[in-house]
Amino acid sequence: MEGHPLLGKYFEHPEIWDEMFGNGDIRPHYKNFVSAIENLSSEEITRKDEQAKKLFMSQGVTFTVYNSGEGIEKIFPFDVVPRIITAPEWIHIENGIKQRLKALNIFLKDIYHQQFIIKDGIIPAKLIYSCPNFLREMMHVDVPFDIYTHISGVDLIRDYDGQFYVLEDNLRTPSGVSYMLENRSITYRIFPDLIPKNNVLPVKDYPDRLLKNLLSLSNTQKSNPTVVLLTPGMFNSAYFEHTTLARLMGIELVEGRDLVVENHHVYMKTTKGLEKVDVIYRRVDDEFIDPLVFRPDSMLGVPGIYWAYRKGNVSIVNAMGNGVADDKAVYAYVPDMIRYYLNEEPILKNVPTYQLADADNRKMVFANMSKMVIKKTNESGGYGMLIGSAATKKEMDNFKIAIEADPRSFIAQPIINLSSSPCYIDGELQPRRVDLRPYALYGPDGVDIVPGGLTRVALREGSLVVNSSQGGGSKDTWVLGS
Amino acid sequence: MLSRVAESIFWMARYMERTNRMLRMLHTKYVSSQDEINDFSWNSVLQIYSDKPEAEYKLIERDSPKVLEHLIIDRDNNASIINNITRARENARSVQDHITKEVWLCLNEYYHLIREADIEKNIRSGDPITSLDLLIRHGMLYNGTVDITMAREQSFNFLNIGRFLSRAIITIDLLTIKLKEYDYDLEKYADDPSWRFLLYSLSGYELYNKRNRGTLDAGLVIQHVLYNTDFPHSLLYSLNRLSRYFERLKTESKPENFAQLEFLIGRCSNNIKYSNLTNNSKLLKEFLPQTRNELLEIASTFNKSYFGNT
Repeated sequence: MEGHPLLGKYFEHPEIWDEMFGNGDIRPHYKNFVSAIENLSSEEITRKDEQAKKLFMSQGVTFTVYNSGEGIEKIFPFDVVPRIITAPEWIHIENGIKQRLKALNIFLKDIYHQQFIIKDGIIPAKLIYSCPNFLREMMHVDVPFDIYTHISGVDLIRDYDGQFYVLEDNLRTPSGVSYMLENRSITYRIFPDLIPKNNVLPVKDYPDRLLKNLLSLSNTQKSNPTVVLLTPGMFNSAYFEHTTLARLMGIELVEGRDLVVENHHVYMKTTKGLEKVDVIYRRVDDEFIDPLVFRPDSMLGVPGIYWAYRKGNVSIVNAMGNGVADDKAVYAYVPDMIRYYLNEEPILKNVPTYQLADADNRKMVFANMSKMVIKKTNESGGYGMLIGSAATKKEMDNFKIAIEADPRSFIAQPIINLSSSPCYIDGELQPRRVDLRPYALYGPDGVDIVPGGLTRVALREGSLVVNSSQGGGSKDTWVLGS
Repeated sequence: MLSRVAESIFWMARYMERTNRMLRMLHTKYVSSQDEINDFSWNSVLQIYSDKPEAEYKLIERDSPKVLEHLIIDRDNNASIINNITRARENARSVQDHITKEVWLCLNEYYHLIREADIEKNIRSGDPITSLDLLIRHGMLYNGTVDITMAREQSFNFLNIGRFLSRAIITIDLLTIKLKEYDYDLEKYADDPSWRFLLYSLSGYELYNKRNRGTLDAGLVIQHVLYNTDFPHSLLYSLNRLSRYFERLKTESKPENFAQLEFLIGRCSNNIKYSNLTNNSKLLKEFLPQTRNELLEIASTFNKSYFGNT
């Protein structure tokens, strides 16, 4: 892009949608922001960049990496240039996610009760029963208000034509929402006045909305039910998020060893004796939550909590057993679910997905491996994944052997060129690939999505992997008001 | 307040009190080792502050740098200062919402300070006093930070209960070390100049000197260390403080738990208050371990009835 010192080396790639540039010009919704920074010297932006890093460090916005028993605090890399989403784009996303979550929720209720979707031949029974996250223990358990997915983080990506696709539905314990909040609070420190001038919608009431939902789930007649956040403890990489959310909502942060179950009721151990707990926002995975029912070696859970839950004496958020709905192989059927349960056409598209349990698919995928992403159905965080365009022959062969041994555990998708967004790197703006994770709250009053979310960015040039464990960072995400 | 949180704060305070008292004691002991006694040995200190069997620490008991290294920066010694600080920090980390940010940062810095290469170098082969001074100063910073920033609520009460419980135990330990060195012979060592070192390590020499005008006498020193309520490291002062912070828990306790501990703390503090041991080495020999056990019983009752570890 000529004429802008900062944008000198910014170039358009014909096969990649850029969030800021289109048709040889800056897109209208970015113009305000660009004109605010184009006159800043690069020293000044570098200073802002450093200031942001310092703020993260001094405010303790860190995750902890454990080496040799002693924790080292690291910050999640932050890029100062916000990712901007227009009002019409956001309405589209919002409607799409609401529709999707409605269907997924009915699916969970159905699959753990009558299973009409299997009986009507929409989803093969084999696929459900072979899913390791399908919990037989959840069969015929009634959950409050029939809500399973109280908090979800749906990952969206954008193809070359600007079309949004759903990459994953994270319906278990999606993380990152604290970074959505922190990124915003850092942005207004480093770019004063820019947020109000751009009419950016606020995200700060996320904790209030979440708390309101949690309180409404309480099954008791109490005017002031006890809500707690259950964390695996300070060794968990998302511990910062757990403490932040607990603090912002004003609820107690508890660990498994703080809770006991007596007579199918859950209590927390306080200096004043046992205090009854009504609602648990848990950040402990299903398989660790109750050693009497799931993994017996778990030290993070609470023995007996499953039965308290099953009897309806405590509400647990999110519900147990949600993993069957965000399984990467079940994902392929979400559009069918939307049609089946809601009689609507999906608003947000799925990335085409090939199940490798099918022999024809396998043959086709093996022939076109360099154009495919292959994923393990049960892994996340960017692990267990092969990107065909960047893989060596040996890696491909290894994957082939693994797939032949256990085809149910793999799926393949064509490589989608994630959209790019400008990042401030080495003194200038450079395009880097991004995705978007908005956070949706499902309460008795319906689905509520805070306008914003976490934009994750692959900071390595050319990389398509945005996960923080693989060199990813994040950006503030602005949703503009209409 | 969650039992786990109360427990973590209690232990954070205990580890820090140990750290601070131990540093002071090592400082005094080291200075005195360089000064006068010909046949100097760290044996009595190692008996209490090393977790190794006697046969092992006997090998180093006359080698001051080795002993200091073992007691300050040896991670393999469970009771070493570096382990105390690391544990205090780990306890603080898990309850960051219940202590102030300043206290957390102070502990975090303390942890980084003791790991500095200079500290280690001075202990091993340079001037250990430089290292000890730095560490002692940071310990005082911690105490000041706690007093000036922490809200006077539950967490502060548990913090002080831990602090004064440990202080009482350590005062007993240091007096015991001293008496062992004299083989409990108070008559022979009635005016031994090295009584002064006990007072130094408890930060109590100046006050003692003011009150007693230069007379160094076993009876007076013991009187000072056990009963002087103007002296913040005396046994009785520590117990008075302990009961004071404990009383504040009353409204937030189960009545039966409170009554049980009130009895234990009250008994222990009256046993001290109404004892008269200043010149009776035979009684001291029984009384000190007995009081120590009573204090440990208080700690384990807290553990059961307040921290939920049954």
